[in-house]
Amino acid sequence: MDKPENAWLEVEGLTFRYHTRQEPAIQDLSFDLQPGEVMLLAGASGCGKTTLMRCINGLIPKIYRGNLEGQVRVFGKRVNEMSMAELSQSVGTLLQDPERQIVGSYVLNEVAFGLENLGLPRGEILEKVDRTLEYLGISYLRDREVFNISGGEKQKIALAGILVMEPRILLLDEPLASLDPASSHEALQLFRRLADDGISVLLVEHRVDEVLAIQPERVLYLEQGKQVYFGDAQGLLDVVDYRRVKLPARAVLRRARDAEPPPELQPALPPRSAQPLIDFQGVSFRYRPELPDVLHEVNFQVHPGDVIAVLGANGAGKTTLVKHALGLLKPTRGQVLLEGKDTRKLTVAQAAHTLGYVFQSPTQMLYAPTVEEELAFGPRNLSHPPEQIRKDVRWAIQTVHLEPELKSPPLALSFGQQKRVSIAAVLAMRSRILMMDEPTAGQDYWNYRSFMDAILQMPGFEAILFITHDVDLAVIYANRILLVSNGRVAADGPPPEVLRDDERLRACRVLPTSLLELNLELLPQTGRFLRAEALAEYAG
Amino acid sequence: MIVSFNYRPRSSLIERLDPRARWIFSILVLFAITMFWDVRFLLFFLALTLGQYLLARLTWRETRRAWYFVFFIMTTMVVVNTLITSSGTIGAVLRGTHTVFFHQFTMPVTGWSWEINLTVERLWFAVTQVVRILSISALFLVIPFTMDPRQYGATFRGMGIPDRLAYTLDLAFRFVPTLGRDFQVTLDAQRARGYEVEKVEGGLLTQIRKMAPLVVPVTMNAILSGEDYANAMDLRCFGLHKRTWIERLAYHWPDYLWIGFGALLLLGSIALSLLGYGKFWVPQILLQ
Repeated sequence: MDKPENAWLEVEGLTFRYHTRQEPAIQDLSFDLQPGEVMLLAGASGCGKTTLMRCINGLIPKIYRGNLEGQVRVFGKRVNEMSMAELSQSVGTLLQDPERQIVGSYVLNEVAFGLENLGLPRGEILEKVDRTLEYLGISYLRDREVFNISGGEKQKIALAGILVMEPRILLLDEPLASLDPASSHEALQLFRRLADDGISVLLVEHRVDEVLAIQPERVLYLEQGKQVYFGDAQGLLDVVDYRRVKLPARAVLRRARDAEPPPELQPALPPRSAQPLIDFQGVSFRYRPELPDVLHEVNFQVHPGDVIAVLGANGAGKTTLVKHALGLLKPTRGQVLLEGKDTRKLTVAQAAHTLGYVFQSPTQMLYAPTVEEELAFGPRNLSHPPEQIRKDVRWAIQTVHLEPELKSPPLALSFGQQKRVSIAAVLAMRSRILMMDEPTAGQDYWNYRSFMDAILQMPGFEAILFITHDVDLAVIYANRILLVSNGRVAADGPPPEVLRDDERLRACRVLPTSLLELNLELLPQTGRFLRAEALAEYAG
Repeated sequence: MIVSFNYRPRSSLIERLDPRARWIFSILVLFAITMFWDVRFLLFFLALTLGQYLLARLTWRETRRAWYFVFFIMTTMVVVNTLITSSGTIGAVLRGTHTVFFHQFTMPVTGWSWEINLTVERLWFAVTQVVRILSISALFLVIPFTMDPRQYGATFRGMGIPDRLAYTLDLAFRFVPTLGRDFQVTLDAQRARGYEVEKVEGGLLTQIRKMAPLVVPVTMNAILSGEDYANAMDLRCFGLHKRTWIERLAYHWPDYLWIGFGALLLLGSIALSLLGYGKFWVPQILLQ
């Protein structure tokens, strides 16, 4: 290894068990972080990434109690001997969800928060805030209200609030999770620049594929709290299971050549037919009369047999659009027909008989004492017979692989599991149309692929629609792409057609992935889009 | 995401005052109002607070939802406290002799009896209470709509509250609209699962139980996001040092005048009440 005496961060034999748990969350981790390097910390959900970060930024043992063995040293000093004030000026942490760490109501106040707490003179604070905003290229946001800026901008603001304290080590916890493809690309470029300017970046992310584009110096790979790999990025591609972690398409292709070809995905949807299930007719929408339109003259239909991926930037109007289908929002002008009926004349509960809609955030809907009751809630509201409810609940829980948790309280599960419960809760309603808002957020690769496979192969759905920032999800599963930009449908058609137009994609803040590029290249041979493993037999 | 109240600058006279002066004035007037149960005095305060409301250039449209909330709470309080149970504040000692409506209920089986005796005095007391609640509501409703959210913390600090508590109050203040937003999201998510809040019926306990799909996620979400916010604040050294507030406030002469006006109102009210004015009053004409 490199010279550990120069390392800014040293972790030696680190093991931690929360007092509330039986098993240690992380076990015997040892690594170091060098000045100005980007280190990728990868692993599936529940691998101990968050616990490790807490050990470095001091939240463990200051806030979270448990048994800690081994050592964490920052600039040669032991973390548990440093004060929070000292530590926060050495180690900055960007938490997973920028929305849940921004406390200020305006950008300037938010960025200044840490320095205000340190009691610096006002003039100095303002100067540092301006310098940081300028460095990040967001000076134009200085006097804006935080609530009214985009997701990518919010993250930059949260980052500014940390960088302004001048830490030399930066911990980033899944910073790409809520960003559209172009914003996450920009964020990664920014992290590289910070490292090149001398900050050490420890980047926790399971979107390995994308992070490799900024050439992290080293990669630490964890599985269930244990260190499986620590070394350069190239080595990782040979070590990890490509079915568990999303690797660049070409690397998967190389490795899949010698493996069994994957079973072919056989969607169980009916063949496409002309009678629309949902019909948007010139839909425009604004939240309040004094505000501008967020949807402009939207026209499109959902037909039986459609598997639609809705792509577009943060704030493009994707969720607003989909909420209209269920009648949660009613058009300001135009109309939405659900099986020929105007949604203005339907209650949401009536619409829910035909259309199941999975919201983005599971914590905003889970309430029952057990997963079983949670899943039965929807079908009971729809007055399904008890025997059918029992059957559908069992089927739904199997689809998302959570059978062992049937009697657990949903609120005690991990975020990824909660998300799957929220999907199962809607599956159990047996609606004929399924709509999902960011179904894969917070899920690891293996899990989301397996439940997406299961959902598509389950009989009963006539059409499926999902909103996503994951272009590969669209490539693998969709037979139709709806590209949304500024409240308008920018493109609507089969994936090879819509995703081929590089210029239009970029204009909608969607970026081609390695899997998309490979698929486009091999399209003459394959005739359709396939997952990376399945491409192995076509590639020369 | 913590959201703020729907503030927008509207260049009103009220906004030109220092927010501390406005809080102090509001608190002084609040104490003054609580001195009176005489509707004649209370009407003066209602006129005063509505005057402030108009000076702030607030429209009915903007504040409609807040008022609905006030009306809801007020109706419940007045009907339950004053008219039915006659408990609460001076309603307990107030019986009155001029009966308008009398009825005695006896619960079957248990034999508990319960009587309703509506007198002119109690009805007039309800009217008085409505005027009181409306004056206090109009007094404080102005604040969230016309105070720059950036200044909340610095305002509390400027009123002598310690750093940590001042910032916490700032967050608590903004928690109200945040909760409102979260509630709407959860309501939509559950409606998508066929839940109809309009159809929640049954006895009180059943109704409460049937509200669980709304109440549990909103509460849990508040607790969980609270943990994240606390971590984010700890990691940025919250509460470790004496704090600098970049928002600065300065008193000018109109602020002193405003506070002085509030103080005068309170002192005057204290004096009047010591002299025996302002006790519960029923117009003679109603008692004849």
